[in-house]
Amino acid sequence: MAHRSRQLWRPWLGVAMFAALTGAVQGAPRNTKTVTCANCHRAQAQSQPKTGMGIGIELAPNQPLFDEHPKLTADKNGYHYDIGRTNGASTYTVSDGSGTLTLPIRYAFGARNLTFVLEYQGGFYESLVSYYEQIAGLTITIGDEGIHPHNLTEAMGRHLTDDEIAPCFGCHATDAVSQGKLTLASLKPGLTCEHCHAGAEAHMQAIAAGKVAPVPRKLGEMAAEEMSTFCGECHRTWEAIVGMRLFGERNVRFQPYRLANSQCFLGDDKRIRCTACHDPHVELVRDDASYDGSCLACHGLKTGVKTGTAAAGATQKACPVADKNCVSCHMPKVTIPPNPTVFTDHNIRVVHAGDPYPL
Amino acid sequence: MEGFLLALRRGARFFPATAVLCAVATVGAAAATFEDLAAQAAQARRGNRIPEAIGLYRQAVELRASWVEGWWFLGTLSYATYQYADCESAFDQFVKLDGKRALAWSLLGLCEFETGKYDPALDHLRTGLAGKDLAPEVEAGVRFHFGLLLTRAGLFDRGNRELARYARGGAHEPMLIAGLGLNALHQPWLPKDMPAERQDAVMKAGAATRSWILGETGPAEAGFQELVKQYPTVTGVHYAYGTYLSYVRPQEAMAEFRRELELNPDNADADAMLDLLLVHAKDLNGALPHARKAAAEKASDALAEYAYGEVLLGTGDLRPAIARLEAAERLDPAAIQYHMALAAAYSRVGRHQDARQERLVSMDMAGAPSREAGAQNAADRAEVRARAKNGGAPVPEN
Repeated sequence: MAHRSRQLWRPWLGVAMFAALTGAVQGAPRNTKTVTCANCHRAQAQSQPKTGMGIGIELAPNQPLFDEHPKLTADKNGYHYDIGRTNGASTYTVSDGSGTLTLPIRYAFGARNLTFVLEYQGGFYESLVSYYEQIAGLTITIGDEGIHPHNLTEAMGRHLTDDEIAPCFGCHATDAVSQGKLTLASLKPGLTCEHCHAGAEAHMQAIAAGKVAPVPRKLGEMAAEEMSTFCGECHRTWEAIVGMRLFGERNVRFQPYRLANSQCFLGDDKRIRCTACHDPHVELVRDDASYDGSCLACHGLKTGVKTGTAAAGATQKACPVADKNCVSCHMPKVTIPPNPTVFTDHNIRVVHAGDPYPL
Repeated sequence: MEGFLLALRRGARFFPATAVLCAVATVGAAAATFEDLAAQAAQARRGNRIPEAIGLYRQAVELRASWVEGWWFLGTLSYATYQYADCESAFDQFVKLDGKRALAWSLLGLCEFETGKYDPALDHLRTGLAGKDLAPEVEAGVRFHFGLLLTRAGLFDRGNRELARYARGGAHEPMLIAGLGLNALHQPWLPKDMPAERQDAVMKAGAATRSWILGETGPAEAGFQELVKQYPTVTGVHYAYGTYLSYVRPQEAMAEFRRELELNPDNADADAMLDLLLVHAKDLNGALPHARKAAAEKASDALAEYAYGEVLLGTGDLRPAIARLEAAERLDPAAIQYHMALAAAYSRVGRHQDARQERLVSMDMAGAPSREAGAQNAADRAEVRARAKNGGAPVPEN
């Protein structure tokens, strides 16, 4: 009976807490200006904007890359690239000895590695060279290795079609796309709360008005398959990669696809979903050992642990070799030369020396 | 098809042992026995005396109805001389004696196409294509006719895949353009049956579709715009343009499907496509009525089932979604998107082995390079698997 009472009581506690936090109890003054996500979700609201997803895109003139590197140069495919800040303006210049093309850099996509989206003659172009943190310099943009430019325009960048550019801005910024069309006037850099938590804005307005509902869907309810589809809207879904026939090492950067091909991927299990390992509100953790807990949640210790959740309901085999640094063996690091970026292959598996890269 | 016809006249390609046997038989002897007739028939065929050879083969199989080689040559020589009714009878007998030869089923289907027996032609061409021993130039022609018949049967998605495959090979004859146009406009006719007043719209739709298939986006865009401008009230025109737009500018596609539905409220395919676009745009409430309408108006239709399944996946009604998606897969096993959707659905309900199987099928169909066969073969295998799942019965059609 006591248990039942607690169950009944809990929702009221929630409402009371929201009301207290927002000062929106009946009769209290309502101050809509002070209501933000941070009122209730302080930790997430403080850390997320500093993450790669929170930054998403650097807009001119606030492009820290050029504070650190006022001048970046590279010679690729017979063209010279000169990128940096001159007289306070960020510019991207490509020349071939007989001609020069200089364009302003309004959009630098990314946080650690940056690709520039340039505007030229009414169209958008993905810069053919990008900045990579690992080499602290420029090299060919990942995915563009096969392009062999024939003129300055082609050397400047790859033309992006209308249906390519909208997803670029849609995933790196907020309010940049509406009804499939670019709305760059309202663009906010990076992913804000509303981007993932649809309905957050309405929820805040409700809080300001002394209500709770509507409450955005709790993304924590999602198991692995649904979350892969959700995150895959930007990181590419399994279906998108198969649909694009993107097989081979070049698909290593599309984690939802790689993960779904793993033997241990169980679509109805929360222990293998994206957020089982990655908290999207904090910066990516690069310490292999920090992920051990996620692996051991299913694979137990050497003796094996009966995990027995409703979803999996099975004892998963424990690793006979080690019980730490699991990902260092089971999620090999992959590079796609000449690109210096090191990707972690999310196709989790027992890797044998000489095995071909699984598609 | 000329090379193919020459090959048929030679015949030895398919039955070399028989050709050698016939060559050593007595030539010019009186045709009193089966052996004599067989030898003379072979001699006439090898001497390119086709009408004489046909007559001799006919006499020989009358004496020995179990002579498969005789039926084969009677059929191939009749086909090569455009005697489709005779060819059809010969291959009808042949496949009763030897049902394993893809070319025989294909030729039977092609003859039936010519003699106007379209329903059996569809079945027999499908059987022929399920085999794996068709020469590429023959397979292309068979797929083209199969695509026309699928369109006639109202199986537009499947017809489109076959016709597109033929078009990608560089073909551009008027019958292909007409077939593509009828398919794009969702008109269940053969080119020869289209009404004269529709001919121009059909050919324009076909030309634009061919450009799109070949990746010629400029001519495709211009072609579709011209079609819509010139024939704004012709059935299927907005559907065709909407289908094109759904790949290049999905937001604009919705308006075209809505316009099609204003003009032609019974166009269940337009409802299904609109539903899919709305699901993609996460407007599940908007999508659901279109899914219901499409499924109600076009029962047992693969696209309608898939569209309904997708919206149910979106709303989290997983088990009914799976039922719809399984129906779509059963109806059109060669459509990769049905397998992919089913993989996700199985995965979400914990049917992990089924999900993996569907993922493997999808990757196979997408032509993942380490896999031994190409995408089309994978699609055909998917069809065979679906038949097996179905207890060996033909895959139900729309």
